[in-house]
Amino acid sequence: MNLPMNHILFLNSLEGFFFGSGKAHVVTGVSLIILAGIAFSLWRMDRRLTQLENENNDTPS
Amino acid sequence: MSYWSAPWKMGGILLLAYVIIRGFGTPLQPGLVEANPNRLTPGLAELELKAVGQPFAEENASIEGHQLILKSGQDLIATNLTRISPHSVEANAVIPDLLPSPALDAFLFTPASGTLFLGNAFFVEGAGTGPVPQAFAATPPDKVNPDLGFSFPYQPNIIESIRNLLWHVPMWFAMFFVMGIGFVASLMQLRTDKVDWDHRAEAAVRTGLVFGILGLATGSLWARWTWGAWWVSDPQLNGALVTVLLYTGYMLLRAAMGEDERVGRITAVYNVFAFVMLVILLMVLPRYTESLHPGKDGNPGFNSYDLDNSLRAVFYPAVIGWGALCYWMYNMRLRMNRLEYRLLTQ
Repeated sequence: MNLPMNHILFLNSLEGFFFGSGKAHVVTGVSLIILAGIAFSLWRMDRRLTQLENENNDTPS
Repeated sequence: MSYWSAPWKMGGILLLAYVIIRGFGTPLQPGLVEANPNRLTPGLAELELKAVGQPFAEENASIEGHQLILKSGQDLIATNLTRISPHSVEANAVIPDLLPSPALDAFLFTPASGTLFLGNAFFVEGAGTGPVPQAFAATPPDKVNPDLGFSFPYQPNIIESIRNLLWHVPMWFAMFFVMGIGFVASLMQLRTDKVDWDHRAEAAVRTGLVFGILGLATGSLWARWTWGAWWVSDPQLNGALVTVLLYTGYMLLRAAMGEDERVGRITAVYNVFAFVMLVILLMVLPRYTESLHPGKDGNPGFNSYDLDNSLRAVFYPAVIGWGALCYWMYNMRLRMNRLEYRLLTQ
């Protein structure tokens, strides 16, 4: 069942698929960029929400 | 919103950044993954064992200090190592006519990486059943405990995909966390009939569903690697899917009821039912059945095989980080619900 996967692991003779090919760094970089994007969008949304809450509190009902 | 006013939000993101860097940047401990040929007959055999994690130093390194021993039942069989390359070892062995068991486990003793093990590495056809003759017997070397540095444990079949533990499991924990908030909110809604509890329950279920779907997706990817299929009919997996579908039903019920004034109470009853089902399907039922899923089959907790200290040093921050991100999303959805309600009722 795992033989095709093992074949991938041996493609790089020195350190194996994940590290030797440098893919670990690419995966780390892409994941960090995605996380930064999520954090930024949440932060912007949070800020807008706070503004709306403040405006709504100022408006007399 | 300033990050200084809510340091847990910033802290959660920083923890997740640490988890990503540590989770993908930590090397795996060495281990044996494949034996060739895996079917042997009595007599002289040429063996090859492949490994991951760079356990054997350089090309054509000295075989001194390395020893390969095969184990049949409780008996040990000596081999003669002939060549080592960074990812494989080659050896000659004389397979005796009598063996306690036709399945041979391989133990490779290395000075730099300790003992590497591959269960059922070889299968011997045509041998009789009996103890291994003394002439073939081997004596294992003294155990060494090399310092492998900060590295993740090698687990057969899972191999590099062990890093998914830092995503898949904390996502389910985060889902449990917010669904628990939703459950309490629904109970309070039924008790007090205050609309704010309904807002909390809706926000919790909506956020929990996102994490539930992410948990299913990461689990399915993991299943493809370790079990060879995107989905297997397993009580734990099916229970997780049914749970997500149940909570999808909650959202559909809300949408179907629209502005009906009974929506809060009716969906609260449904949510209590859904949470009880979540506990039964994910925490109770798998204890009573056999499951492929690790940590099941009698004990849903982790054991020493699942986690070692290096993995714990990343796993626990991952649980806190995903939990903080989940709570942040829940908190924003709740504030949106309150704002929308205030605007509609003004």
